[in-house]
Amino acid sequence: MSTTNGSGPQTAAAVVRSELPGTVLTVAVAPGDRVDAGDEVCLLESMKMEIPVLAPAAGTVTRVLVRPGDAVATGAVVVQL
Amino acid sequence: MSLEAPASPEATASPDATASREATGVAPTDAVHRLELFFDPGSCELLTPDDGVGARAARGLVAGTPAYAFGTEPARRGGAVGSAECAVIAGAIDDACDAGAPVIGLWHSGGARLDEGVRSLEGVGSIFSAMVRASGRVPQISVILGPAAGGAAYGAALTDVVIQADAGRMFVTGPDVIRQVTGEVVGMRDLGGPEVHDERSGVAHVTTGSSLEALSVARELTTLLAGTPGRTAEPGPRPALRTALPERAVRAYDVGPLLDGLLDDPGVELQPGRAPNLVTRLGRLGGRPVGVVANNPIRLGGCLNAAASEKGARFVRMCDALGIPLVVVVDVPGYLPGVAEEHTGVLRHGAKLLHAFAGARVPRVTLVTRKAFGGAYLAMNARSMGATAVYAWPTAEVAVMGAEAAVDILHRRKLAAATDEDRPGLRAGLVAEQRDTGTLERLAAHGVLDGVIEPEETPAVLFRALEQAGGGRSDQRNIPL
Repeated sequence: MSTTNGSGPQTAAAVVRSELPGTVLTVAVAPGDRVDAGDEVCLLESMKMEIPVLAPAAGTVTRVLVRPGDAVATGAVVVQL
Repeated sequence: MSLEAPASPEATASPDATASREATGVAPTDAVHRLELFFDPGSCELLTPDDGVGARAARGLVAGTPAYAFGTEPARRGGAVGSAECAVIAGAIDDACDAGAPVIGLWHSGGARLDEGVRSLEGVGSIFSAMVRASGRVPQISVILGPAAGGAAYGAALTDVVIQADAGRMFVTGPDVIRQVTGEVVGMRDLGGPEVHDERSGVAHVTTGSSLEALSVARELTTLLAGTPGRTAEPGPRPALRTALPERAVRAYDVGPLLDGLLDDPGVELQPGRAPNLVTRLGRLGGRPVGVVANNPIRLGGCLNAAASEKGARFVRMCDALGIPLVVVVDVPGYLPGVAEEHTGVLRHGAKLLHAFAGARVPRVTLVTRKAFGGAYLAMNARSMGATAVYAWPTAEVAVMGAEAAVDILHRRKLAAATDEDRPGLRAGLVAEQRDTGTLERLAAHGVLDGVIEPEETPAVLFRALEQAGGGRSDQRNIPL
């Protein structure tokens, strides 16, 4: 059976996108960090809630594109793996 | 409808599928062995002779539940179906419908046989008709074990639940035809493999590794959809539910563990990859099969959107048609705002969920764990939508919107007129007042709630509510929304 929280099939150079618009509260990773599928890469405030952005696949963080306070749109890339 | 798959299933299996087959031992590829593996050992009774027809039908037991099944024969023309094969399959479906038993299709077929021309096409049509006749009367499950092209794929898509094994491929027209017509170059897996149908198309409800796993899930779903009870008893207290919510009310969380705590066992999640902000699961509560619909705050904050509404509507209608009681677990901040959602037709798809719940005759209880706001509250089986019972945990907030947001709108002028110094205090006071107007006690007094219940006693309360409600189911068919 498939897992519940992964998103699309990932290729080598994966990106982590925000599923919804919001304001970045915290960033949980830095370049060089290893992440597993489902790990939180940053936390957004949206819909008056704190909603994590999750890595869709395992990988090593190569770039972080957001900082706390940034507004992100739906589909915005927050981290590159 | 026009494709014939390669005769050898091995030729189309990906290397990882072969690897998983080796890992799980025997994975037969002929119809009779697959049927025998599906049913309880020794219970498989073949209903058609070995007369060269490339489809076989059987009846037998699934964990003691009588069921019918059919399978296409991969070694005969790649499982492609002509009029004789279609007669076997349509006959099995009609027999199951007459017997009131579930019917399971084991598909591995290139679609309609070309050499029979329109006769095979008409045969496939007779399968479709039989499936629609049986729809909502008996559970229908499709298991995709190899390529299923054209009519074979549509045959699966017409049924209640589609299970796709790793080697399963579903498409209307295959890679060769697509290349000829559109010039697009695509492999079978990228066109119609499990990743595509789990996450993108939503055609598959469950994806598995090996074909043996697929058959195993099909067995579990057969008993769940047939309503076969396990050992029935009121569930005891579940202390784990006390800590199922995060300490901070604004924090998102995965609803999965909460549902694990509510149900006897995890059950089977349907369409996990599609619209994961709404979880749809079949499981058991106190031994009785139930369908669970739950907002999942870890994805999109648990907001409803067009995709989730459609997913939920199909699930609710299936449960209603088959008489599976519903448990609705609510923690929803609202509908997802945005231009894209409006333009996708969130109204059209959202209306499907409203229609499904309001029209459902099957018993359906609602539990509000944390928040139920606005129109999304209604769409999650509210009292006014005909819920059998609505309960709330002490942590719940049921309102048109959150108290803070309501105060900012209702008291906009008063807040604007206040000095910067006074405003936070004024606002806090107004928010507290606003909360008081919608306390759970008041909502219960108004009949919106049937009671405030403690998390650990929740499985027992929901079980009793469903027992008291008795039966009931729709007389509608389960249209594949």
